[in-house]
Amino acid sequence: MDAFSIPMEHDMPEGNRIISYKTAIQEATDQAMMHDSRVFVIGLDADDPSGMFGSLKNLSCQERVIGTPISENAVCGIAMGAALAGQRPICIHLRVDFLMSAMDIIVNYIAKWRYMFGGRVHVPLVIRAVIGRGWGCAAQHAQALHGLFAHIPGLQVVMPAFPYAAKGLLLSAIQDDNPVIIIEHRRLYDQKGHVPSEMFGLPLGKGYLMRKGRSLSIVAASLAVIDTLSAVDSNDIDADVIDLRSIAPLDMEIIRSSVKKTGKLLVVDYAYPFCGIASEICARVAETSFSDLRQPLARITFPNCSVPASGILEKAYYPSAKTIAKKALEMIK
Amino acid sequence: MNTPHRLPDSTACLWMLKKMILIRRFSEYLIPIYPTDVLETPLHLHIGQEAVPVGLCVHLTDSDTISFSHRSHGPALAKGINLQSLMAELYGKITGCSRSRGGSMHLVEPELGMHGSSAIVGGGIALGAGMALAAKLSNADHISVSYFGDGATNSGIFWETLNFSALKEIPLLFVCEHNHWANNMPAHHHMYGDPLLVSKVFMESFQIDGTDVLDVYKGMAQAVGYVKEMKKPAFALCKTLRWMTHLGVSYDETHCPENMRQKSCPIQKLQTIMMSENMIDASGIQHIIAEVDQDILDADTFAKNSPFPSPDSLMEDA
Repeated sequence: MDAFSIPMEHDMPEGNRIISYKTAIQEATDQAMMHDSRVFVIGLDADDPSGMFGSLKNLSCQERVIGTPISENAVCGIAMGAALAGQRPICIHLRVDFLMSAMDIIVNYIAKWRYMFGGRVHVPLVIRAVIGRGWGCAAQHAQALHGLFAHIPGLQVVMPAFPYAAKGLLLSAIQDDNPVIIIEHRRLYDQKGHVPSEMFGLPLGKGYLMRKGRSLSIVAASLAVIDTLSAVDSNDIDADVIDLRSIAPLDMEIIRSSVKKTGKLLVVDYAYPFCGIASEICARVAETSFSDLRQPLARITFPNCSVPASGILEKAYYPSAKTIAKKALEMIK
Repeated sequence: MNTPHRLPDSTACLWMLKKMILIRRFSEYLIPIYPTDVLETPLHLHIGQEAVPVGLCVHLTDSDTISFSHRSHGPALAKGINLQSLMAELYGKITGCSRSRGGSMHLVEPELGMHGSSAIVGGGIALGAGMALAAKLSNADHISVSYFGDGATNSGIFWETLNFSALKEIPLLFVCEHNHWANNMPAHHHMYGDPLLVSKVFMESFQIDGTDVLDVYKGMAQAVGYVKEMKKPAFALCKTLRWMTHLGVSYDETHCPENMRQKSCPIQKLQTIMMSENMIDASGIQHIIAEVDQDILDADTFAKNSPFPSPDSLMEDA
């Protein structure tokens, strides 16, 4: 069977079908492969029993799971060529850092093809990559580089925070006719939540209001959403919490309307600060919602240095629910 | 040509002669236009190298896919790109094959297996492999060709793709059009060893005289046939000569002077043999040239009369 149709959802439904983030990814992948013979998985260790930290375990169509040599640039190019020829590849990478070897293909090819050929070709390609953290992952295994990809026109970038979004965004990405980079956080893989068993999609480019409040708008993505919710819930902070879900396109509407209500904005982006998503959001809010602001914009990001290995330094490096709570409480004082 | 060939039939010979003349005359037609700046796009002409794409594409079907790079006109015309949409693309017109977004280096015709040519050397090799993987996954009968120059063998992605293709047994033909130059660097400076020595370890490999279309015809018949039948990759190294400078419309008089060009001209070589075999006479050749020239003039008129894209279309397909 070729192609599948999925209902587009938005709200996070309540329910008691509790599964993990990695299982949600596995389920979406398996369902997509069962329903669409063009879908295949390719990448380093894709066919290893470890199944990409469990997110590719026990897939029904093993013949369309292709393990590859450590050749990220060629593998991304091969996945793209297959997409041009009508397949729907999911190109997987155990770390975001490894994608740097494929930046030529991602930036000069995948992102450009549709525009450069006047819409005569398109690249229905999904790239999945994982951000690492902890246990001395260090500078080359723990980078969050979504800002780099989002900078390039032609790339869609999503960062699911919950099992529900992990499934819905992956299915939307597979179904989309244009390239989507899905950045997952290793720390989220064992997070659990309700996920409907049937296939569904979430719109690319739409954020979601996780908590409603009046005093402050907090915008975050991926793991930073979990920490933000923990900060807000355990300190009774009266804040809007926006889960971006998608970095590019960026849902500015949900941010603007929240800022209009609260007059205060804190952006939490677990990534380098310089020229990052937090900067972009602050710039756009300053451009278009300046008169709604009642105090300076604030950002919480990584410090402007690489990730260290030593546990002591790691602890100093990463922001946490505590960092977020402290800043949020300061802002609503 | 070292050994006498059994000649392909006259239909194939005429097809190849006409295609080579088309590439030659089209390229020569652009030479006086280019300095007038009506074509605002970097030209990399295929003059002198016509035998390689033509001797290859005579064996390909429309559904066989091919990836190629900045020196794009030769392979695109050999694979059958519409001349008018090619010319219009050079003029930056909306009727161009890439709707004016690509220019000379970025040609496309998905219906003929051309899914877009690249101006970054190397990457197209992997795209060709991806199309071969797609053919394998969908149990299709067609093959894919990664068409690149000797300069591309300098890149990591070439070796990555060679290794991947051999491991995964995909129906991919690597065609290295070895014109002895990587940009402005001669082969003996940019390439330590003959790529064929390595490719042989990975897959069936063929050495072909890229200045002789009959040798290309024969070699590619074997190479294409091997990939189609065995559903495994193969490698064809076609040594040829770059008559032109890397970029633009000047002949490289220093490295490829007149006498060298005459001796190595693939069109002359084929014409001589076809005439001696009574497949064509001088007036027949003149007839082909006149027909091709008329097509080029028509394409030029079409391109000139076509509209430019509207500035409002800037963000379309962004």
